[in-house]
Amino acid sequence: MLIRKLFRTAWKYKSQFLSMIIMIAIGIGIFLGFNIEWQSIESDTSAFFEETGYADYRLYAETGFSEEDIEKILKMDGVDDATRYLAVNVSIKDTKKSIALNVSENYTVSTMLVMEGAAYDDTLGGIWLSDKFAEANALSLGDTLIMTYKGIEISGEIIGLVKSGENMICVADANQLMPDYESFGFAYISPEKLEDALGGVFYPQINLISDMGKAELEEAVKDILGTTILVTSKEEHVAYAGAQSEAEEGKTMGSILPVLFLAIAILTMVTTMHRIAANEKVQIGTLKALGFRDRKILCHYTSYGLFIGLMGTILGVILGYGIAAIIISPTGMMSTYFDLPQWPLVMPSFCVPVIILTNVFLTLISYLSVKKMLKGTAADALRPYAPKAMKKSVLEKLPFWEKLPFGTKWNVRDILRHKSRSAMTLVGVVGCMLLLVGGLGMKDTMDRFMVMLDEEVNHYTTKINLSESADNNEIKILAESVEGDWLATSGISYEGETVTLEIYQADNSKIRFMNKENELMKLSDDGAYLCLRLADTAQIGDVIEISPYGSEETYEVMVAGYLRSLMTESIVMTDDYADSIGIKYHISSIYTDENSENIEDSSLIAGKQDKAMIMETYDTFMEIMNLMVMIFVLAAIVLGTVVLYNLGVMSYVERHRELATLKVLGFRDKHITRLLISQNIWLTVTGVLIGLPAGVGVLYILITSLVSEYELSLTIGVLTYLVSILLTFGVSLIVGWMVAGKNKKINMVEALKGAE
Amino acid sequence: MAIVEFKDVTRIYTSGDHEMKALDKVSFTLDEGKFVVILGPSGAGKSTLLNMLGGLDSPTSGTITVNGKDISTLTNNQLADYRASTVGFVFQFYNLIPTLTVYENVALVKEISRDAIDPKRMLAEVGLADHLQNFPSELSGGEQQRVSIARALAKNPKILLCDEPTGALDSETGVLVLKLLLSMARNYGKTIVIVTHNQSIAKMADVVIRVKNGKIRSCEEQSAPMSADEVEW
Repeated sequence: MLIRKLFRTAWKYKSQFLSMIIMIAIGIGIFLGFNIEWQSIESDTSAFFEETGYADYRLYAETGFSEEDIEKILKMDGVDDATRYLAVNVSIKDTKKSIALNVSENYTVSTMLVMEGAAYDDTLGGIWLSDKFAEANALSLGDTLIMTYKGIEISGEIIGLVKSGENMICVADANQLMPDYESFGFAYISPEKLEDALGGVFYPQINLISDMGKAELEEAVKDILGTTILVTSKEEHVAYAGAQSEAEEGKTMGSILPVLFLAIAILTMVTTMHRIAANEKVQIGTLKALGFRDRKILCHYTSYGLFIGLMGTILGVILGYGIAAIIISPTGMMSTYFDLPQWPLVMPSFCVPVIILTNVFLTLISYLSVKKMLKGTAADALRPYAPKAMKKSVLEKLPFWEKLPFGTKWNVRDILRHKSRSAMTLVGVVGCMLLLVGGLGMKDTMDRFMVMLDEEVNHYTTKINLSESADNNEIKILAESVEGDWLATSGISYEGETVTLEIYQADNSKIRFMNKENELMKLSDDGAYLCLRLADTAQIGDVIEISPYGSEETYEVMVAGYLRSLMTESIVMTDDYADSIGIKYHISSIYTDENSENIEDSSLIAGKQDKAMIMETYDTFMEIMNLMVMIFVLAAIVLGTVVLYNLGVMSYVERHRELATLKVLGFRDKHITRLLISQNIWLTVTGVLIGLPAGVGVLYILITSLVSEYELSLTIGVLTYLVSILLTFGVSLIVGWMVAGKNKKINMVEALKGAE
Repeated sequence: MAIVEFKDVTRIYTSGDHEMKALDKVSFTLDEGKFVVILGPSGAGKSTLLNMLGGLDSPTSGTITVNGKDISTLTNNQLADYRASTVGFVFQFYNLIPTLTVYENVALVKEISRDAIDPKRMLAEVGLADHLQNFPSELSGGEQQRVSIARALAKNPKILLCDEPTGALDSETGVLVLKLLLSMARNYGKTIVIVTHNQSIAKMADVVIRVKNGKIRSCEEQSAPMSADEVEW
């Protein structure tokens, strides 16, 4: 019988029950969704890495590694496996497309997973091509592919379609943010095929699998090979680092948003359960008078909380897996970034206890709310719940208090009398505002980032990638002929970290530089510039020590200033300064306004990229960004609507009798609506005033937590403020109208009966 | 002069297929300045009658004329204005706004009534000059009902409508409140209509209307109404 009462009561308080179930479902849904997302990324990628022998370390030597080198490395203690490796970007003949050509000598490390076609065999002369690149370019098994590298043609039949851990995030270089399989892919060939094509082998890389620490390995390698070798760990490799940072983002999303929603759900639960218990007090008394034991009554009302929790959990789990599947699936958002063979969803083990605890907590809240009502004898319980008696607040001591219109006094006292309800409304508005400012501000920041990248920093049309063997003097002649700037990059060790040293000749302003304030700046020839991520490591005027990999030398460099490096973690200097301190470098690319068709191919040139094409690779990234913003905006609106409606209805029910009295006295409906709305407006104004800076703060934290990837500059447009404020007010006012509209239906006669 | 005229007033409440005739072709007139008691057992239709008169409800058929104006066909807003200007209510459970002080509860009517009487004066007349800054919850039942009377009269209405005004009070306090109500109404020359099932109150009235089963059983004028002190409670 009591179960039936549970469902009837749920129906009676349907808007409260529903709003709490929705809040809990959203909280648990987002919590599960993003936690499953990052856990799946970690599990799925590491399974794939395991399967394709993804290397823990990569050693680089510009002059290449010899057979003896690899033998020595293989014999080293702590090295599980190793292979000489080549990965170069080559062009597809007669197109602007290019692919990363991979050769793994021993084929035990950094291998591939054949999805279709022939298994790997080093005697086969064909090409194992990325299945995604093949699909995007309508290539299939049996087709012939002709690649050009330093003017040499390498051609072969496509004999396998593959995926590879090494190329899981298939981007040409650090300037490309997202894979674009139409223009860039990867392929494997056997060492023999490479030798046939080039007339010799050259492996500038050793990939190895080892549990050693980086420093330890560096020492060991130096001992064995007799020279400092550039060692990069998997944390510095795009595939592993990309997966890690996606997982990190998921962790952030999986903690901030759900905590907000669950906290609001639980707070709403506290106010609402208290209200329901208060309304049901007479019924509770009746049950008690009928002879039900306290325990039975407690159980019954406690089951409300459990019921709400369970319903919310069921919906939340469905929502969570739904969200995760939108991101993690063969056609999901993450599939445009990662190239994985399988996308199983994996839930982190801590999710189950968190969800159980949430339910226990919700049940406990309803238990405590009812417990309070059950106190005393049956006769006590039968008496209706009386709200706190009015007391004068400090505000009323203010001199102008008496002059306030009665509506204002009424609203102020009502807000103070129902503090938890008012606080909850405030939290709802603040949350709504925070999500809007955060979400839209994120988009502004990213848009600003794109503009800086596309129009301000990268002021060129074509990027020419130079071959490793090209001579600097010849390159400088080429650069001059196309009125281009050039860049030499190399890995250096600075304060124990691997950072990029970028040496620019930027007299033609094809590449420009930006300071912390986002203003264009000129590089002086007096010293080096640290990117903002390194700004804490040295003061301007300090002398720092850097040492290029592969050499014994250490250079002392004067810090001339800081600059905003959008992509790489780098130390930047002009060629004149580099020459003055005697650093050796090799120019790696030229930036020019010349169209790529007008630049003659030569042995110097390894490839050409249009900036427009590079920028296109950001499109997918921006699409994902926009989707996230949509989620934030939707979440904000749902949050605002649900919280405000629930509390609005509660406030309306509580003041039902007062409103009826006002109506009887002769107040028009509009007048009463205005009274109700004005309370909403005050709380909204306060909420907006708190939510605006809070949103900016949260966004700032989010952006600085992403700073290891990009140097974003917090940008929030006027439009974002405007839209956020208008949307928040819109939600608040529409909900306010919806609730206030109920006052037209007040049955004055009914409402006046019975004592308060 | 008749200030109130009910003509064939019928009120039918429907819920589902069920029809309930709360008032059945009720006709009567009331003269200005009289003290009228509407008497009847519960469910007789006396509250419905009062609600019609107070502009809280409209008749299904028939006309109600108050102060020369037909109120049976008014819109919601017109009804609100009618309530604001013409009638004052006193309820069994006082219906004060708990978050407003005694003074503010009465001053409230200044928002809707143009010729409202000074709230302080009203409250002084009901003997609450010392309680202006108290909240209703700090007052006794009798005091709360006095605030309610002050509020009803502060609008300066033509008619004072009271629904069991002493119903929630002990008899001693009830008599005091009733006395106050009557003397205030007489002083200000108001027509006063009290709905009750208390026979004793009827003895004080100028006119007694007895209602039963939605119909008026009798409507008699008492030429020599008793004073409150003469009535046995």
